[in-house]
Amino acid sequence: MIKKLPFIGLGLAIIAFGQLSAKTASETLDELLNKENSDQQLETAPLIEDLAFLRKVTVDLIGRIPTMEEITTFQKWPLSERRKMAVGNLLEDKRFNDRWTVFFSDMLRIRSGKAGGPQLMAYVNKCLKEKTPYDHMARELISSNGKTTNTPAVGFILGDDVDPMALAGATSQIFMGVRIACAQCHNHPFDDWEQKQFYGFAAYFGKTKFIEQSDFNRNAYTTEGHEQMVLWPPERLKPPERFPVAAKFPFELVKFEKDNRPSHISRFQSKREESKKEKGEKEKFVSLGDFLDDIDASASESRKTGPGGFDLEGSLMKDKKKVNLKGDIYRQSNLRKELARLITQPENRYFPRAFVNRAWKEMMGRGFFEPIDNYSAYNEVSHTETLEYLADEFVASGYDVRALLRIITGTEAYRRGHHYSDTSEKERKKAEHRFVAAPVRRMISEAFYDSVLIAGNLMGEKKWRNGENIKTITETVRIALPPKEEEKPEADVVKTPEANPEPPQPVTPASTTEPTMSNKMANMAGGTMIRSRVVGGYDLEQGLEVDFDGLLSGDKKVKGELAMMKKMSDEKIRMQQEQSMMQQTTRRRMRYTYRDQTREIDDNPSYPTSALRMQSPAAPPSFFRVFGQPSRDRLGEFRDSSASMRQSLMLLNGKNVHEASRVGTLEPLHKMLTAKSPNIDKAIEYAYLAALTRKPTEEEHLEALTIVHTADNLVDGMADLRWVLFNTHEFRFL
Amino acid sequence: MKSSSLQNHGCKEYHVNRRQVIQGAGVATLLGMPIRNLLAQKGAVRPPTADHVILFRNGGSMTHIDTWDPKPGRPTAGPFNAINTSADGIQISEIFPQLARQMKHASLIRSITSPIAAHGLASYLIQTSYTPNNNVIHPGIGSIAAHERHQIGALPAFVSINGNAQKAGYLGQKCEAYFIGRPGEKDPYLSFPAGISKVRGTKRLEILERMNNRKSSYLGAPEMKDVETSVDDAVALMQSPALKSMEIDNDNPDLQRYGDTDFGRASLLARNLVESGVRFVQINRGGFDNHGNIEDAMLTHGEVMDPAMASLIEDLNIRGMLDRTMIVMVSEFGRTPRVNGNAGRDHWSRVFSGFFAGGGVKKGHVIGASDKDGMYPDKRPVKPQDIPATICHALGADWKKTVITPQERPFKLTKDGSDPVFDLFA
Repeated sequence: MIKKLPFIGLGLAIIAFGQLSAKTASETLDELLNKENSDQQLETAPLIEDLAFLRKVTVDLIGRIPTMEEITTFQKWPLSERRKMAVGNLLEDKRFNDRWTVFFSDMLRIRSGKAGGPQLMAYVNKCLKEKTPYDHMARELISSNGKTTNTPAVGFILGDDVDPMALAGATSQIFMGVRIACAQCHNHPFDDWEQKQFYGFAAYFGKTKFIEQSDFNRNAYTTEGHEQMVLWPPERLKPPERFPVAAKFPFELVKFEKDNRPSHISRFQSKREESKKEKGEKEKFVSLGDFLDDIDASASESRKTGPGGFDLEGSLMKDKKKVNLKGDIYRQSNLRKELARLITQPENRYFPRAFVNRAWKEMMGRGFFEPIDNYSAYNEVSHTETLEYLADEFVASGYDVRALLRIITGTEAYRRGHHYSDTSEKERKKAEHRFVAAPVRRMISEAFYDSVLIAGNLMGEKKWRNGENIKTITETVRIALPPKEEEKPEADVVKTPEANPEPPQPVTPASTTEPTMSNKMANMAGGTMIRSRVVGGYDLEQGLEVDFDGLLSGDKKVKGELAMMKKMSDEKIRMQQEQSMMQQTTRRRMRYTYRDQTREIDDNPSYPTSALRMQSPAAPPSFFRVFGQPSRDRLGEFRDSSASMRQSLMLLNGKNVHEASRVGTLEPLHKMLTAKSPNIDKAIEYAYLAALTRKPTEEEHLEALTIVHTADNLVDGMADLRWVLFNTHEFRFL
Repeated sequence: MKSSSLQNHGCKEYHVNRRQVIQGAGVATLLGMPIRNLLAQKGAVRPPTADHVILFRNGGSMTHIDTWDPKPGRPTAGPFNAINTSADGIQISEIFPQLARQMKHASLIRSITSPIAAHGLASYLIQTSYTPNNNVIHPGIGSIAAHERHQIGALPAFVSINGNAQKAGYLGQKCEAYFIGRPGEKDPYLSFPAGISKVRGTKRLEILERMNNRKSSYLGAPEMKDVETSVDDAVALMQSPALKSMEIDNDNPDLQRYGDTDFGRASLLARNLVESGVRFVQINRGGFDNHGNIEDAMLTHGEVMDPAMASLIEDLNIRGMLDRTMIVMVSEFGRTPRVNGNAGRDHWSRVFSGFFAGGGVKKGHVIGASDKDGMYPDKRPVKPQDIPATICHALGADWKKTVITPQERPFKLTKDGSDPVFDLFA
């Protein structure tokens, strides 16, 4: 049985707020929060200052600290408006889409190494860019069938290998915050879910088939079969006979009376009417369900070119199998379409509630309920009314992610500072749990990475003139030995190092110093066995870009895939090389040796690619994973923000922090320090602002002066100061 | 730095991550306590037979018949001959001639059996004793070792070479493997960046400590104290004299014997690390998924693995370390006894083998047996999940011990039904 879950949604009072006063939703939310805190004795922390707010909100919304330019502009804005203006700008910033793609990638467990993963990531990015409402996106994710290159949303169900049981668990936990998957093997031990309900839910996915073909899954796709694969009773009971399960939606829905719909529903309706008008579509609405736009539209649209956006001309399938493309391949799933509708309809409170709680946690460090994907009668919700209000507002906005974040960032709760150590541990925790004080919260790894680059002027123009950082580096490279005499290779001859005009080069991911990836990859693709040893050294601080745009343009399909190949993680390349090495053994066995090799490079690093647009999850030993990027291969895995020795090693001795600290000749700081009469005070202030988004205190200023003056020269001293600033608690913790 | 940072701390006790903890219900009373205290629920204590473990994990699942369990004269025999070894009555494949001479120190299990023949699932199982589940990450055996046996000196307790070990999961960051991607090569993260002198680096660290102290005493959040501990650990490692055991010169004469390959270097490194106190070294090797032309593949594997492993056993023995160091080689399952049309072998989990030496393991002994064609266990079936339990047993850790995760869920170190192979030990 489904127990009634705590549901205090839409108090009339709230509707009245909306109608009668000019209160913003953020203010209403604060009021509700205070109301729900009123029976508690709490130590409320002071609000943070404007610059601290700018730092926090910039990191949260666009995934890096503010630039000097942004700081200056912000300070010019009128006091009363500047916070709102900052949020407005950030929500329209290009990086917003990238930062929140990371959020969705964590939520949906998007792996760029998985078939359909990169396309799905690109799809999410596009949805954010185009301001696609969240419910629309969810419907596509839940219901799409087809081929990942043309129907990228299908990546979601490919992520679980189109396994109905796994998909049922994932869909419920991700979109509704309910851990029904525990009922897969037995009735839920800590909840009221029954195994049979889980099976009924899984049956929505039971007819979807995954058709895999060779060739890097390039032609893998999903379609709808006729047979229900989800059978009852469960196999483990070894029943004499098993029967197909009928799909049944186990989640309790709210009923709205037709003439007395709550305000957020009518606002949702008019919102949708508006956007339909904008799109020039027919108006005339019969039921609420009609507002759940365009799954049908997109399905019928796709039928024109072949269901699921199938590219008729491009398919080999057409010739190979004489099948009716329109009828049989890439059939849309009626079951999952129905499920998508059920899940995303406003009558399903689980859907907006789970999302707003997740977003709240992302911004505040803690959800109204925790874990954020375990909403249950047995799990406490700290502020029921506040949570339900936020969910209402999200629905009313037409599931607009930006609107939701605008509300959250506009609250006083978001502007609360930390408690100081004069507050007892107990009081501090209590205040943090009630959202009247902010817990310290480490930036996500991607934002941390980008912030160091931004503060160190490594992201845009180069910070050094060409030739100022010539270095001789020695690398150990692995080189294939020529085959032994007695083994006569049948095919392509292995080039010996001598025979090869190009010296063997280490495979380092792109994004930094000179040599590019392509020639090395060409070497590999061409089958020569000259290659380096990979994964290790400073590679761990690098990542490879995912070409969001390239991935979604169908005609550039091959190009996109090639790009992906080029951008495969080192580990994957290594794996693949190993595999191809094993395949090579059909002709000959390879022998290798290692050689130290020296070459000169101009080490003038710049990082054109934001960490937010890199392949993820990165290889486990990489900077990103070490700083908590999840592996995204299972449900219920969140970002780990605990400290580790490895993290410290990567910051104390890592390349990025080191290069960011060094004062480049093209940086403004360099001028300040090397002018005839150096302006050290100004330089210190600049360094603090760039790193910590604030000016130094008097004490800090004096300390900085000592640091700068006790070094061999001012430039080195400034590098020391910056290095320390990038390594401080204050830099990484919000 | 604090003077204490330079001393040996033993196993570090980071705080439970608060945001992980608050995900559990009613755990407020546990906040701020070191994870070790939360997790400690002492079980039966038994003196360890091994203080160190070197685990060779073969990814892609290695053929059993062409390695440890040859079937001479049978239709499944495959391309290789069986050769006699220094252990009476034990034959192994001819691709391991040097290991054959070391077999007198080693034992084989020839009857590991499992229904799971999918790589991911099976690798997880043999490393953790669990099958993957949502909402939890089970720790791998290396992390369990790091959790159960304290760190010696400044070197990490658990090192993974040439690839990644299973994560530490609910045992926390401190039990995570220290990753070495290029065995023997100087790790740039272990010393100040080029151009930063020791004096200058130390000055930076002093300023950092001062600044951080200011902030963390001002805010008082345990997260910050944890960062400071991790900096202390990092500095201790950077300053440790044991650090040189992590480097191998290209002209190191031992490379001649071990073979100048990633695997040879990793094995040589494992020897050095264990000598310097590292508890658990995992060496990962792929390329065993030989659905086609298994003969050449295994010849190559033999050429790489044989000298490295044999030299490792020999060296540990000469240096008196073998008795306290358990060497294990397993893969997630075996390969089909029948050779397929591509002269390869496919997935086969019904029976496969593992190699064990040192750390109290019987010398020149075979546990269990497969049937005459290497299809199924003939006697003494062993489950994959018994392997982690066996390693726990060797390390003197109670494999049945319950640990409470930061989410307050109880888990056994190894899953119920995992049994050490007691008869493997002398």
